[in-house]
Amino acid sequence: MTPDRDERTQASEYVLGLLEGEAQMEAERRLASDASFAREVERWRMRFAEFDDATEPHPAGEALWQRIETATASGTPQRAAQPSRWMRLWSDIAVLRTATVAASLAVVLLAVGLGVAIRQARLQPVMVAVLVDGNRAGAVVHAFADGRVVLLPLTSIAVPSGRTLQVWTLPSRERGPVSVGLMDRARTLELELKDLPRPGPDQLFEITLEPAGGSPTGRPTGPILFKGNTAQTL
Amino acid sequence: MTTLPAPDRAAEAQLAAALARCAAGERAAMRVIYDIEAGRMVGVARRILRRQDLAEEAVQDAFMRMWRAARSFDPARGSARTWLYAILRNSAISILRDEGRFGSDEEFSEDIAPATENALARLPETSALRRCLEQLDAQRRTVVVLAYVHGLSHCELAGKLGVPLGTVKSWVRRSLISLQECMG
Repeated sequence: MTPDRDERTQASEYVLGLLEGEAQMEAERRLASDASFAREVERWRMRFAEFDDATEPHPAGEALWQRIETATASGTPQRAAQPSRWMRLWSDIAVLRTATVAASLAVVLLAVGLGVAIRQARLQPVMVAVLVDGNRAGAVVHAFADGRVVLLPLTSIAVPSGRTLQVWTLPSRERGPVSVGLMDRARTLELELKDLPRPGPDQLFEITLEPAGGSPTGRPTGPILFKGNTAQTL
Repeated sequence: MTTLPAPDRAAEAQLAAALARCAAGERAAMRVIYDIEAGRMVGVARRILRRQDLAEEAVQDAFMRMWRAARSFDPARGSARTWLYAILRNSAISILRDEGRFGSDEEFSEDIAPATENALARLPETSALRRCLEQLDAQRRTVVVLAYVHGLSHCELAGKLGVPLGTVKSWVRRSLISLQECMG
């Protein structure tokens, strides 16, 4: 079957990266289920690939490889291609949604799992951020009414020797990211926000991998391992 | 499907074989792909993200996705290389569009006309893509080139060119239709 003009336009705009939101999801669904559309997408990818072929390579050293190796160390490739997996692969939005669901789930689990800790503190956090990587929850940040802000890990994090985990927050765009803690491995950590305004809703927290002793520039330089925004508790 | 020149066919076969080994859980195969493609992948991601650290993050993310999804790669549906670069572009554009990111001081700030011409000038003289793009009006060429090469969105293109969003969308569509007719 010859693809019609709308189909070609949709395929080409998808390949250019110009579709957003619902239109992008629709293209991804179609890519997974419609062979003629998938061929059209592949044709456009081949056409534009000349730009990629003509791009000057940049050094990709051992450090980047080490990070990739560390990041993929756990788990093996997923099982055979189902349409849904294929679709998920192409679907950034779907991955983000999964992350949101995972994050909500993590909040529920935490509400249960951390009940004991919270009771001990006789305090309830006023702000919570679940820091995720894709659909994996890595840590949670609790901001308490008395001003304490605590990071609780949910998973172990591989830290190569000579490196450290650094926690950041973004109190405002103008101010930029501020370091609020360093740790040699994933552990419960009281974050240093004393010199900052109390965390508000939708404030970004993230963990990056930095050289031992922390980022030399005072700004994040390494890869972001986990990140998430605060939400007010009920 | 477009027929590839012989050296590309060899590289394609090597990549497809490495992906099949990844799908079988063989981690050494990932290193093979890294050795063949990582430098160019960083280059492609850098054009979109402007910063080496963000570009490396996109490449890392792409390798993780590729490793997890290697079994869903189907050589009957397309080339290993376009599959890999589609994943990379998705990773890079996600990072670019992610509003929760730190800082916006690294956004695309070059003049659009030289940026477009530079990207075109890198294409080989014999390139059908280049020939067909050069047949378009300058602004219509620009929207397509900047969207693909630098990852600009419709809104960013409208801002850069100083025209309404609807105009940019219609330019993009008409350019793509002309390209399709020209490239066959």
